Amino acid sequence: MSVAGAVDGLGTRARIAAATVVVAALAAVGIALAGHADVLVAVIALLFQKSTLAAALRLSVPIAFAALGGIFAEKSGVINIGLEGLLIVSAFGGVYVTSITGSVWLGLLGGVIASSLLALLFAIVCIEFRADQIIAGLAIWLIALGLAPFASTVVFGSTNASAGATFPAIDRLLANSGVPVVSTTVVAGLEALAGIPFLGALFEASPMVYLMFVAVAASWWTLNRTSFGRWVRASGENPRALDTAGVDVSRVRYAAVVLSGVLAGVGGAALSLSLGQFVGNGPTMVNGKGFIAIVTYLLGNYNPIGAMLSTLLFAGLDALQLSLQGQNVLAIPRPLVRTIPYVSVIVVLALFGRTRLPEAAGEHYESGEE
Amino acid sequence: MTDADDGASDDSGPSRLPRDRLFDALDRLVAASATERLLISGSALLLSVAIGFLLILVAGRMTSCGSAAYSLFGVGFCYDPFLVYDSLFLGAFGDFLANPLNGQFATTISETTVLVFTGIAVAVAFKAGVFNIGGQGQLVFGALASALVVYGLSASVSGLVGTLVLVPVGLAVGAFVGGIWGAIPGALKAYADANEVITTIMLNFVATSFALYLASGPFKAPDSFANQTPTLPEYALFPQPLFPGRTDASLLALALAIAVAVGIAFLLRATSFGYDVRTSGIQPEAAEYGGVDAARTVVTSMALSGALAGIGGAVYVLTIAGNFQTGVPDYGFDGITVSILAGNNPVGAIAAALLFGVLKSGSIVVDVGTDVPPQLVGVLRGLIVLFVAMPEFFRMIGERVDVRDRFGGSRDAVATDGGEEA
Repeated sequence: MSVAGAVDGLGTRARIAAATVVVAALAAVGIALAGHADVLVAVIALLFQKSTLAAALRLSVPIAFAALGGIFAEKSGVINIGLEGLLIVSAFGGVYVTSITGSVWLGLLGGVIASSLLALLFAIVCIEFRADQIIAGLAIWLIALGLAPFASTVVFGSTNASAGATFPAIDRLLANSGVPVVSTTVVAGLEALAGIPFLGALFEASPMVYLMFVAVAASWWTLNRTSFGRWVRASGENPRALDTAGVDVSRVRYAAVVLSGVLAGVGGAALSLSLGQFVGNGPTMVNGKGFIAIVTYLLGNYNPIGAMLSTLLFAGLDALQLSLQGQNVLAIPRPLVRTIPYVSVIVVLALFGRTRLPEAAGEHYESGEE
Repeated sequence: MTDADDGASDDSGPSRLPRDRLFDALDRLVAASATERLLISGSALLLSVAIGFLLILVAGRMTSCGSAAYSLFGVGFCYDPFLVYDSLFLGAFGDFLANPLNGQFATTISETTVLVFTGIAVAVAFKAGVFNIGGQGQLVFGALASALVVYGLSASVSGLVGTLVLVPVGLAVGAFVGGIWGAIPGALKAYADANEVITTIMLNFVATSFALYLASGPFKAPDSFANQTPTLPEYALFPQPLFPGRTDASLLALALAIAVAVGIAFLLRATSFGYDVRTSGIQPEAAEYGGVDAARTVVTSMALSGALAGIGGAVYVLTIAGNFQTGVPDYGFDGITVSILAGNNPVGAIAAALLFGVLKSGSIVVDVGTDVPPQLVGVLRGLIVLFVAMPEFFRMIGERVDVRDRFGGSRDAVATDGGEEA
């Protein structure tokens, strides 16, 4: 309680920095306790490999997009705990449409549409029929958890499905674009920059990684600098004032929840189409990323940039975990290494999870006209 | 924050306000007459089945087949929804009239038994104002610990004595380990304000991975390719006086489940612990004012909830599985649906568990007898939760249809307790 209380006073940036330090310290202590100081050195070396950064960026995409969506929904007063479900349906929708059309871009659109429709259902249920948001969000997750493998089995004959295509890396995309200077000079420049040891990964990523950074900036700008953003915040903080000002609270909330579906849809489709397949058995390939996204925006205090930084923290851990499994640095069995991101989410949530919720979040708003 | 800043010990957690709303809503559900609750659950079920019907038709258009299995208005569909639902609901009973002890019905009974435990596990936590989504992880750890301890002891006793010793020990171990795994998110919520929805889901992932490690490494059955612990001897399992041909249905286990459900209902209704749980679930501030240690109540009820899920895991091992295998079915998640469908009433959970036992067992019949993927049941599960979460929807329909007026009853009673307080 006291720790959490002390943490309350920190700003967003300080909270994320503190969380990073805590996670790093925990990892270091864990390794030191295991009695391998040399392993600690090896892990740090691994952390600064280009492939680790590349994996961290790739793994960030679905979490960051889902987190941005979650921010809009929750800021508007609708807590969207169904982000995981939105990621699942869009991951499948993306693969399904790509397998039919052969185009990952149409697949991306398909994933966005699938996720937006499910988000619209969630919005109707919460706003029109005043459902409890937490239970309805859980239902959205459960529906997606059944629906995606169901559809995959119907269409592909198996819970796992192949899209037959993946997103091209940025250099190949630009090289094939045919735009005069871009397809030659810019590509050459990117390839040169990609040679930089660690940060080179920033210049040879999937186009979805760049889209993620654009979306983070655009979300921040929308929330803080546009009238729509003002309405969204007012709808979550003081819906009656917004109503008095002549703005329809329900419509703002509908827009925000559907927008969360669009954003999560980009994330889910990016997840499956960067691998070119959908994996639908067990918890599916989404595997808790939607719930981790919720923790990232709580840790980032509903600030898109803060959410992005905390996403990088968790995705970085996941990337490190994958490298650890692949290169067998630690003498710890793989299933245990796999728990690292989940355990750190719990630790971070327990230490830094106290955020001030938008005042009217979770509440149904009834306009006085009825 | 209006009423959230009043200083109750669990205020300002990320889901503080929604939880208030949640339990307001649940409170309204409890206050609503049992008939109305039954109507809402029944309508939710019917509506889910209707949407499932459409889904089967749509899926039947998306796949390809030689000849249409079903046609409507001249359009052919590859799947016949009536056949699917016949398999799903009636298939679970097997050839019940000819032989009530048939294998399919035995499966239904054994699935129901485990679901009673996971259902009341969720219900107990709900009553205390905590949403335990971690039933799956608690069940997995309970099952694993039970399988390991019973196997370890099974060499030293045997025969009837073995059964009398090992089965209770297995259940106790399951309860203990599940209870500890449940108490962790309870303590995190009570003392660190960590939202239990997130922590329990994360702990599910941790439990599954950790169980995979144990069952594939240190405790793996030496002669097996699959990731599983050694098979338990017959005398270490629940005895099956009836259902002789099957090893996985025990009416004794079912009787135990029903007894525990009734016991929990009594505990919640008639003891001071139950009073603490219910008041801190409905009105945490008032409970605190009335001298209830809210934080301790959260931890205790989560431990009890985890213990019940853990017993469910032990029962799964000692009736259905006969050892611990990775890839435990989703009993924990089904328990959420069971509890929500039963309005968090432990006795009602018995009926809801039977319904889900039928669905789980029937999905096997659907898988074998039709081409429709058995994941259909997963979709139905989600739809049922969604519809039960929106009682307002049914009230709106009810008001439009105005059944009560026609029967001369008063509609006001329902309208007031269903009306929003906004």
